[in-house]
Amino acid sequence: MVYFIAKRLIQSVFVMLAVAFLAFSLFRFVGDPITQMTGVETSVEDQERLREELGLNDPFVMQFARFTGDMLKGDFGFSYRTRQPVAEMISKRIPATLELGIVALLISLFVGIPAGVYTALRPRGFATQAILMTTLIGVSIPTFVIGIMLIFIFGVQLGWLPTFGRGGTVHLGGWETSFLTADGWRALILPAVTLGVYQLTLTMRLVRAEMMEVMRSDYIRFATARGVPMSRLYFRHALANTMIPVITIIGLQFGGVIAFSIVTESVFQWPGMGLLFLESIRFVDIPVMGVYLVVIAFFFVLVNLIVDLLYVAIDPRLRIQDVS
Amino acid sequence: MTRSLLLGGAVSMAAFGVQAEEFKWASTTDPQTMDPHAVNSAPVLSFLNNVYEGLVRRGRDMAIEPSLATSWEPLDGENGWRFNLRQDVSFQDGAAFTAEDVLFSYERASNEAADVRSWFAPVSEVRVVDDFTIDFVTTAPNPLFPSSIANFMILDKDWAMSNDAALPARDAENFATINVNGTGPFVVASRDPGVKTVLAPHGGWWDDAEHNVTEATFTPIGNSATGLAALLSGEIDFIQPIPLQDVAQVESRDGFKVLEGEETRVIMFGFGHEHETLLYSTDVADANPFADPRVRLAAAHAIDLASIDRVLFRGKIEGASQLVPEGISGFSEANSNRPEYDPEKAKSLLAEAGYPEGFSFGLKCTNDRYINDEALCRAAASMFAAVGLNAELSTGPVRDYWPQLREDDFDMYLLGWSPGTFDMEHPIRFLLHSQDDEKKLGSWNFGNYSNARVDELLPLIQQEIDPAARQAMVDEVVAVTQEEVAYIPLYTQPLIWAAKDGVDLTQRADNFFMLRWVTVN
Repeated sequence: MVYFIAKRLIQSVFVMLAVAFLAFSLFRFVGDPITQMTGVETSVEDQERLREELGLNDPFVMQFARFTGDMLKGDFGFSYRTRQPVAEMISKRIPATLELGIVALLISLFVGIPAGVYTALRPRGFATQAILMTTLIGVSIPTFVIGIMLIFIFGVQLGWLPTFGRGGTVHLGGWETSFLTADGWRALILPAVTLGVYQLTLTMRLVRAEMMEVMRSDYIRFATARGVPMSRLYFRHALANTMIPVITIIGLQFGGVIAFSIVTESVFQWPGMGLLFLESIRFVDIPVMGVYLVVIAFFFVLVNLIVDLLYVAIDPRLRIQDVS
Repeated sequence: MTRSLLLGGAVSMAAFGVQAEEFKWASTTDPQTMDPHAVNSAPVLSFLNNVYEGLVRRGRDMAIEPSLATSWEPLDGENGWRFNLRQDVSFQDGAAFTAEDVLFSYERASNEAADVRSWFAPVSEVRVVDDFTIDFVTTAPNPLFPSSIANFMILDKDWAMSNDAALPARDAENFATINVNGTGPFVVASRDPGVKTVLAPHGGWWDDAEHNVTEATFTPIGNSATGLAALLSGEIDFIQPIPLQDVAQVESRDGFKVLEGEETRVIMFGFGHEHETLLYSTDVADANPFADPRVRLAAAHAIDLASIDRVLFRGKIEGASQLVPEGISGFSEANSNRPEYDPEKAKSLLAEAGYPEGFSFGLKCTNDRYINDEALCRAAASMFAAVGLNAELSTGPVRDYWPQLREDDFDMYLLGWSPGTFDMEHPIRFLLHSQDDEKKLGSWNFGNYSNARVDELLPLIQQEIDPAARQAMVDEVVAVTQEEVAYIPLYTQPLIWAAKDGVDLTQRADNFFMLRWVTVN
């Protein structure tokens, strides 16, 4: 087990380095940070001096080496745009994105799994067809359109929910949470639903397909024949075996939710990492973009590691393989 | 301390019989920093004008009026200005304001680390005469100087020194990046960069408050649909700007209003005057037709501004004849006609210049900088095509647009210019004077338009004290550059804000938003 984790951690470092390298080589095409940092009246001479001070005239490899070296030393640098420490900017934004992602994921699970089970057990029912149609529509509409639709219906027309921001938040140590105020929850609903819709559809369809597969298998038939009660059959025997691939996908989805919450965050002016990243692109804020991408890569790596460990916990056969 | 300041504010407002209110507003960009000398950009200067003050300030109509200086006059026997400072002014932390603070702020703002140092290029020395008198000595007569420093904000010397903020932070954070201590009407009560900033009235402000705001919250909202929704759902009271296509939606709802005005920004096309050949032409390989003023004039006559106004701008733009709009000082009344739409004349001018069949060229435009910039360029390209000028359009975000222009990678390009000093001298210096890196002139004259007479007149215009003589020289520059079609000025960009009906505010032509003129009913 220890060997397994160690191996995965070493792999992760290489993944993150590769992401940093790719990201860094793309930044040269994003635009010129200097013209975004200075006003129109700044002389060309002053711009050139600033470029030199920031090391933007150095060769690409040297800039990358400096960036990586600083990161390894725990120095994440300063933003070109706000001149604040990047580590602080990102860590302040992490709670917003994580809370949004977690709630979106929970929505997709608590709606998606029961819906998947239901549609698998009643494949020809009217409700099943209705659910499948609705989710198909949900998944075909781009996220930002869903978001704007929700804003106009529930924010502008009905006036029930706030249209932007996080509402009231409470500081818990270094963590700024929306979970402890009613206002915070109200602000969370629309973006979480927007972000959760796509995930919900995936979860539901996956659970449905797996469940139908399992229900056809021999051991279910034998169990049915032996007279195992239906509820126990469905939820103890069938669903447990359905969950292994589902956990994988959910894990990967969570990484995706965090990484691709950019659109939702922009539509709802949700002050998370995605919004910060968008602003950084607009201002060619290279240090922030670089650190953001490495942090996202880290999330993916971490989530994958957890997924792998969960496998081992759920499926005893994997424990034997690991030893060999 | 804070409580007593707020209480003072409440009492002074009660004395005016105005009810106190909370106010929430949004704009597309968060100010990058709270340091008034670190970045010379409109979001920063606009925001900080509510917190910090300069020696002079601009009124509702953009006119210069006394602020921390009560009066100013030219120095005797040398070039420069003497400013008489206001007494009994205190900073938001309670410290007294004196000439030492002005000197310190000058040194800070003119330092290499400051982005606003170009304002002080003409200054050779600053002398404190006594606690409330200070002299700015300039290298040559400089009638424009007082109005060119309207956004020069004064910090408290002791506060900056004791908080390690003696210089603006260039590539790191310092105390002044997030904390403020100005003399202005509002105090920053809390700041969460990129999320929200809360302001409270400065109870000890020297001037009489015209507003009734007790707490003001600013939220940056980058996505314009989100911003509009926030206004219509009642979560914010005011937003600047809103997109043109949303005007009808706001106007159709009860309880909201749209504020329209003219920004001081003129949108224009520029040319590669100095280029030997066209870069993006498929049919002209060995010449630059745009070097011929007749071709440039043909391009000007090809543009049907009335159609652009009707189709793209819902009738909200005003045609421009020169690089500044009417009302800006130095505007040349004598040269206020723009080339009319005349495709036949354009064709005959092209034939005269030796291109009866026209030619193809590259047109560069931004797609995220000016209102409808990409649509404008598409419209212009089809109008050009109608007379034989076949524009190959390429558009991109502004963040890599300026570098392309600096590398001369264009045949014709789009540019918008707002004169920072609200005087015609500004575009002459940046857009019409020949490029001169050493003297820092012509730095935005990408095509390097060059005319010896214009270069000769600029320093004279900068130094001329007599308004009539100065205007005569400006008129000459405008006449010459119109004659030569140095640029094709198109129109003045509209300024569109939206607010709840009960909110009274002032829309200033520089797109700055001043809380001190807000009343919430």
